[in-house]
Amino acid sequence: MENGELRKILEVKNLSVSYGKKVAIKNVNFSLKEQELLGFIGADGAGKSSTLHAIAGVLSFEGEIVYKNYVYHSPKEAEKIKYEISLMPQGLGLVLYDFLSVKEHFDFFRDLRGLKKDKEYENRLLKMAGLYEFQNRLAGNLSGGMRQKLSLILSLLPRPKLLILDEPTTGVDPISRAELWNIVNEMREDGMSAIISTAYMSEANKMDKLMLFDEGEIIASGTSEELIESIKDYTYEGEIENNKCFSFNNRTYSLKPLNLKKASPTLEGIFFVNALKKGKKPIVINVPEKDIEIPEIIVNAKCLTKKFGEFIADNCIDLKLKKSEILGLLGANGAGKTTFIKMLLGLYPIDEGELYLLGKRIRSYEDRLTLKSKIGYVSQKFSLYKDLSIKENLEYFAKMHSLSVGETKRKIEEFARMFEFEEYLNAFPKEVPLGINQRFSLAAALLHEPVVLFLDEPTSGVDTVARSAFWRLLRKLKENTGISILITTHYMNEAEYCDRVAVLKRGVKIVDDEVKNLHKKYPRLDFEEIFLQIYKENQ
Amino acid sequence: MKISVLRAYLKKEIIDLIRNKMIILIYLIPTMILILFGFGIKLEVTHARTVIIDNDHSKLSLEIINKFSRTKYFDVRVENLSYKKALHLIQTNKADVIIIIPPSFSRNLYKGAEIGVYIDGSFPLRAVTLQGYIEKLLINGFNIHLPIKIENRNFFNESLRDYNAVVPGLFGLIFLVVPASLAAIMIVKEKEMGTIFNFYSAPIKKVEFIISKLLPPFLFHSLNIFILLLLAFYVFNVPFRGNFFIFWVVSEIYILISVGIGLLVSIITSTQIAALVLSVIITIIPGFLYSGILMPISSMDKESFIEAHIFPVMYYNHLVYDSFLIGQGFKASENVLYFFILCIYAVTLILVGTFFVKKAIK
Repeated sequence: MENGELRKILEVKNLSVSYGKKVAIKNVNFSLKEQELLGFIGADGAGKSSTLHAIAGVLSFEGEIVYKNYVYHSPKEAEKIKYEISLMPQGLGLVLYDFLSVKEHFDFFRDLRGLKKDKEYENRLLKMAGLYEFQNRLAGNLSGGMRQKLSLILSLLPRPKLLILDEPTTGVDPISRAELWNIVNEMREDGMSAIISTAYMSEANKMDKLMLFDEGEIIASGTSEELIESIKDYTYEGEIENNKCFSFNNRTYSLKPLNLKKASPTLEGIFFVNALKKGKKPIVINVPEKDIEIPEIIVNAKCLTKKFGEFIADNCIDLKLKKSEILGLLGANGAGKTTFIKMLLGLYPIDEGELYLLGKRIRSYEDRLTLKSKIGYVSQKFSLYKDLSIKENLEYFAKMHSLSVGETKRKIEEFARMFEFEEYLNAFPKEVPLGINQRFSLAAALLHEPVVLFLDEPTSGVDTVARSAFWRLLRKLKENTGISILITTHYMNEAEYCDRVAVLKRGVKIVDDEVKNLHKKYPRLDFEEIFLQIYKENQ
Repeated sequence: MKISVLRAYLKKEIIDLIRNKMIILIYLIPTMILILFGFGIKLEVTHARTVIIDNDHSKLSLEIINKFSRTKYFDVRVENLSYKKALHLIQTNKADVIIIIPPSFSRNLYKGAEIGVYIDGSFPLRAVTLQGYIEKLLINGFNIHLPIKIENRNFFNESLRDYNAVVPGLFGLIFLVVPASLAAIMIVKEKEMGTIFNFYSAPIKKVEFIISKLLPPFLFHSLNIFILLLLAFYVFNVPFRGNFFIFWVVSEIYILISVGIGLLVSIITSTQIAALVLSVIITIIPGFLYSGILMPISSMDKESFIEAHIFPVMYYNHLVYDSFLIGQGFKASENVLYFFILCIYAVTLILVGTFFVKKAIK
């Protein structure tokens, strides 16, 4: 088919969705052509998921959606188009049943959709996802990346004409992300259209067209080049400290001219420029300087090993965390990062190896007790109590560390001011954006003034502006208090903010080096490319 | 109705229930309730400590003493005590029953003799039961009338066996609580885990989903009807005088009612734990109170009488007791009426549930 002749497959007219009084999206209009790949970007809570759900016919909405020539106004009317549309909702393998094997999932989805068994096609999907050898494995035993790939190929099983993916790559490692994209691209050659929301700007570049959501509206749309072009006047090189402009990843964004060298913008910049246009200001981080006595080596792990039955999650890993250092622990899903952190914290017993924390050999639970007050931990998904308000959560954590009432009050006020979540203190975790949850989880981990912080994927799913604030916060903490931080992340460009990175692959440490050395070794590559390169070299 | 949708869910649920070991609970809990409650609820009283004061010393009075001594219900001691001292035995919890045979009792027998019977009333239920036993012994044996009248609640349970009274009543409790909670959990689990999106986004009908989700708990518990019936026969030796087919059909309809309640619970809850707690609470209380185990419905007063008629357990248990102990079946018009009432319950609950299930995010 000629490029100009592509038919319009979807048209969204004046789409609005509200949950009670809260308006999720208002008057959204756009259309999609055959074979087109449309990307949704925007902060969490901006309305991307609501739009996707409305199109997929799983959410009530106002307005009109036209798929091919069929018009629908409600989930009920959308039933007829569900034969041609597949939705993969947000969440790592959300639609999977933990107790079913890969093969049984195929049986279930085939029957659910009333499809005939097409062995050839199913095998092709399984091979694309690298799951052909794992057909008998239960979904509950698959890694996050594998779960996402399985969810994706299951949504492709009915050969949809329109594929809707809601943040398919959030929380997924770069390797699996690349594989997910390969699958989508291969299927598009068969004539499929897709709408995909994503938090990774490197993926947004792959879309035919992008739409930027903000507070329930589409505030910008176009190809990624067009969007980048639109902010080039506001982008400068380097990072500066100023409450009228945002800095992230070696770029500074300002509406007013700055006395800095202009730089080529990246897609991420569009969030910052948009925030500036909305009159938002970067949070002012004011971490008081502190002088605490901290030993030179905080963590010294010698050949730590963890086995789960036959499976070796961590195989003889050596790792040192020095005073006042941010160490990034990178690796694919299931590479052993979380297991490693859990061993350091004593949440998993250590099978083999020696562990020294703050110079003290850790052999037993009692050894750790004295150190508990020196360690802060933020887990994946943040361990917050959703029925307590943010303030009550913080008070609870303070009590756990036996802080006095007066001290608790003072600390909470101090952190709320420092991390700028004062206005949310009485809200419940569910009601506030992920970025706020992330900041107050960090505050909860810092209440007892630890000297070392363990952060397990604290930025997953958090929008760009909030992530930039978070990293500035971590840097400031490190510089002014001398605290050490061990952090895992799937955003490879965040590795730039680390002093040193250790890369794990299938339970083995393959690289442990300073970030600047890695840049010297792999010139002209961004960190995601460096990471993929490292993984490739260590087959 | 697409068979493939049904097959998809049925297969998935069965695998899921087996692998997460829930299947053990499905078959263990009803059996456990039946055995624990069946043996545990004691309505009959045995070995009541009985003191007989015989002031007559006649052939008849000896015969009465013998009669009491021969049953397992009374442990008889014959003593020569004053009226006051005898009563003191009850007050100090050294005796449960005092029977005083007055002098010249046998001589006055045909003029209308009276025996003094004193029963420890600290447990009213036991007292009434003992009174019944004593009356029966005296009336049947000697045609002696006591100046007390009680209702004979053991009309269809001549042998006065507890199991006959308790075990059938437990059917109504078990089949109300267990299928409801299982159905509620199985539906809410999809909501809680997010797999409900598979239903939302696939081109399947609401009815197909509901039938697929209610069928597994219904089928699994249908098997329980037979398991519990066998337990009633062989562990508790309860007779079965009715029509098995009627019992079976009625039980299946009752399970439908239960899974219908589970469906309603699943609509208003979103976590498995909430679904479990809610479904157990709203079924276990009426299931127990109005089962007829503790108290016959006919002897309830106004409010509880009305409440008993609101919950389905009363109708079902009536038919179950009939099947086990009486055996009138559909010859009694009341039983037919109750059968239809149960059918109406089942249809209404499931229709209402189906109406309120929404195939979209709330």
